[in-house]
This record gives sequence, structure tokens and C-alpha cells, in this order.
Amino acid sequence: MNSDIELTQVTEQLNSGILLLDLDLNVVSWNRFLAVHGDQKISAAKGKSVFDVFPELPKNWFECKVASVVQLGTPSFCSWEQRHHLFELPHTRPFTTDSDFMAQNCTFLPFNTDGKLTGICILIEDVTDVCHYQTMLKQTMFELEQANRMDGLTRIFNRKHWEDTLAKEFVRAKRYGNQLSLIMFDLDKFKQINDNYGHQCGDLVLTETASRISDMLREVDVFGRYGGEEFGILLTETNAAGAKEVGERIRTILSSTPVTFEKQTISFSACIGISSLNTMQTRYEDLISEADNALYSAKTSGRNQVCLAPSLRMCS
Amino acid sequence: MAYALNEDQQDCLQELINVAMGQASDQLARYLDTFVFLTVPNIELVNGQGLSSSLESNTDSTAVVSQGFFGYEGIRGEALLVYKHKDSDRIGDLLGYEPGELSVEEQLIDISSILTTTFLNVFASQIENQMSYSAPKLLAHTQDTVDDYIKQISFDWDMALKVNINYQVTDYSFNCEMILLIPAAAIENIKTVIDRILEDY
Repeated sequence: MNSDIELTQVTEQLNSGILLLDLDLNVVSWNRFLAVHGDQKISAAKGKSVFDVFPELPKNWFECKVASVVQLGTPSFCSWEQRHHLFELPHTRPFTTDSDFMAQNCTFLPFNTDGKLTGICILIEDVTDVCHYQTMLKQTMFELEQANRMDGLTRIFNRKHWEDTLAKEFVRAKRYGNQLSLIMFDLDKFKQINDNYGHQCGDLVLTETASRISDMLREVDVFGRYGGEEFGILLTETNAAGAKEVGERIRTILSSTPVTFEKQTISFSACIGISSLNTMQTRYEDLISEADNALYSAKTSGRNQVCLAPSLRMCS
Repeated sequence: MAYALNEDQQDCLQELINVAMGQASDQLARYLDTFVFLTVPNIELVNGQGLSSSLESNTDSTAVVSQGFFGYEGIRGEALLVYKHKDSDRIGDLLGYEPGELSVEEQLIDISSILTTTFLNVFASQIENQMSYSAPKLLAHTQDTVDDYIKQISFDWDMALKVNINYQVTDYSFNCEMILLIPAAAIENIKTVIDRILEDY
């Protein structure tokens, strides 16, 4: 048995592509995998530039890639995770995946003859399967992560995620000396709405509150349901005056338009407490309790009110 | 410690690495057309916990790339490249790519592979070996995920030989740390190779 010939037989059966180029990037040879998937005859491709045989290749990128292999004599890699494919080849699961082309991991290797670099060998691995399942897994992980952060009813952040974010932002703002304000608000006489119109009506008021305010806030504001009918909004890069303005808008946006439930019109409102970062606070909980104190002052001075924390001393 | 290198072995390994670093930085400088500084390597034995806490203390890490290597005589290990600065988006220029031609992730992977394989190829030729490499993998990118990722790794192994080398490309304000980890099972093999080299002298 001639082991060289035997091995050639094996490479012909491989489910990976082998492409051999000379240093001018002309095709020297390839195995059956490329002949079949590329649907081209080696006799026609031999001696032609790889860019003529595979016009889909990104020329400059490919030349840079090869340059490192030639100059440093090191291998270079290209993964489907960064570049789905290099060669536009069909794959074996056209019906059960949504990939147009075969996903590939490619390896560029220096090819030596008698210890001298004479060419570049490119190995092409079909990873369409891996790509398909990995993409599905990522999507599922993303959805789970989202679900894990969301409040089921109001579709805004839940208490845990909201508080985690507050903790992080608190540390960041302290470290960089940024402004940070917190709004806590609570729906007025919410128990009465539940008692008079039923819990479905109460749920409607909660979802309506969340959606009106979500529409109003900036992308960077962090809005979450703190508990029952209490909500929290974290305003980054915002001072007390800015937060008070937002608080007033929240008060108006909630109280100005009632909700309609089973042909009944139900008015609702909220009391709003505001605190801002200062040098005295050492933990994010301090920010919460100051906003809570302000919220309590708002409640005691009537309904539909905005109050600033004791350290900011002001009620409207 | 059973795995520990004796003084001669440690000196010899240090010398092999120094020579490899010199040649590698020379090759890299010519390829990248800029100066590449490599700091004196730090060689030590670590356990999983030791590595995990030293990685975690590196709080300004922004990306980690892993690449496996394996050669004859059971010489094998894993290289971790830890990036510190956010300005790694200029790596593309350094490598000659056109703007926008490749993502930050691809740039990180590309430069990692170049730094790792250039050094290890030279090192391998010093010990009359030849290395093969797995494809480099971006384990985590952005500070938050690096921290989370490191916390998730179990580091459930006893002992590894760790070689730290710092790369600096000052013209591009680019800085990264290469951590070569050689697993317990391969430490004996590398000692055998070192002993043979020592005998020849």
C-alpha cells in the first residue's frame, strides 16, 4: 500500500474542503468537496486567480489574511461567528435551516515544499449545523434574559433588574461625579379602584400607566415596577430640576386622561417623590429612601402631587 | 511541589522564552511596521483559584481571546489574550485592513492569533518542535461580560504552568497580556524537553 495514495483517497472523501493556492493566489489544486460543492472542474480552475474562480471573496481582506500567513509563517483563522462564510457554497440542510450558504470555519496554513514556503493551503469546514443551533440557542438565551428582566403584567423592568441597574448606575455616577436622579411614584387610592371596579380594571390602570410613561421617557432612563402600584424611574445625567420637570409631566400625563373600563370612565393619579445623588449618600438604598420620604410627604399633603426629597426641600 | 521546575529548568525555560520573545518581537515589528515591546515574562505555577482571582483583579479587562496549541512530545496548552484598553478598534489599521472591513471582534481575534502563533512558532523551533493551533475564540468582549465570564468559569483544575508576557504597540496605544497555560499533564513533558536541552549543554 502506498500511504500517500491512500491518504489522497481519504482527503477526497473528507467532508471539508481543501484548497491549495500558489503564492500569487492562483489555484493549484482542491479536493472533491470543493469540486462538488463549488460545481467547478479543477481542470478549468487550475492556474486561475482565486478571485476569478471565487468572485465572492473579499479581495483586500483575503490578501491581508494571506500576508500574515506568508510573512510570519503562522496559520490564520476565520470563524463563522465573525464571518458567516467566505466561499458561497450550497450546504446539506437547505430545507431545515434558514442559511442561504454553507457556514464555514476556514483555516489558512502556510504550505511548504522542502522547507520553503510555496503556497497557501485553505481548509474549509462546513459548520452550518453548528451555526444553526448556536444561533437558535443565542436567540433563546436572549428571550430568557429579557423575560427574566421584565414584569409580566406591565412589560417594563421588574424590581430585581431595576434595582440591579440602580445599584450599578449609583456606583458609576459616584465614581465619575455624574448627576443622577430617582423618581418613585405610587398610584393614588389604587385599592379603591380594585375594590370598586375589580382587579382587571386595576391591571388596566397599571399597564396604561407603564405604557404612557414608557413612551414619554428617554432611551437611557430606567423604568421599573417596584412593587404593587409603586414604580421607579432612574434618570441618568439628570439633576433635581430636570427630574422635577419629568415628575410634573408624569403627574399630568396620568391625571389628565382617564381610562375606560367596561364603558366606565375611571380617573387616576399618582404621588411622586424625587431624590438626587449627593455626597452624603453612600449606598443606592439611601437614594431610594430619600425618594420614598418625598413620596410620603406628597401623599400626606394630598393626592396628585410631586415632592422633592427633604435634602432638596420643595413640594409643588 | 511535584510539578515545580528546579532552578536549572526554570532558568532554561526563561532563557528559551527570552530568545523566542526577541525573535517574535522582531518578526512582528517587521510585519506590523511598528515597534512591539514585550516585557520580561513571568513564569509561575498556579492553581485554578489563583488564576481566577488574578484575572478577576484585572478589572479593566475589555476582552479575552483563547487559542489552544499542541505540538509533538505532548507539549500543549491554552493561550489567553487579555485586552485592557478600549482603543482596540485601531487594530484593523495596524493589520492593513480597510476601515469597516472587519468588526472589532474579528480584529481582536486576528491580532490575538498573530501574537500567539508568532511567539509559539519561534518557541517551538527553539525546542525542535512544531505547533498546531485551534481556531481562536473570543470568550468575552466588553467589561461587563468579561467579569461575568470569568466568574462563570469553574477553574476546577489543580495546577498549571503559567507564563505571562505583556505586549505593547505604543504607536497604536495598544496593550495586551498573553497568558500561556500549560496543564499539569504537559508540565512533565516540557520538563523532559528542558532536561534534554540542559544535557546537550
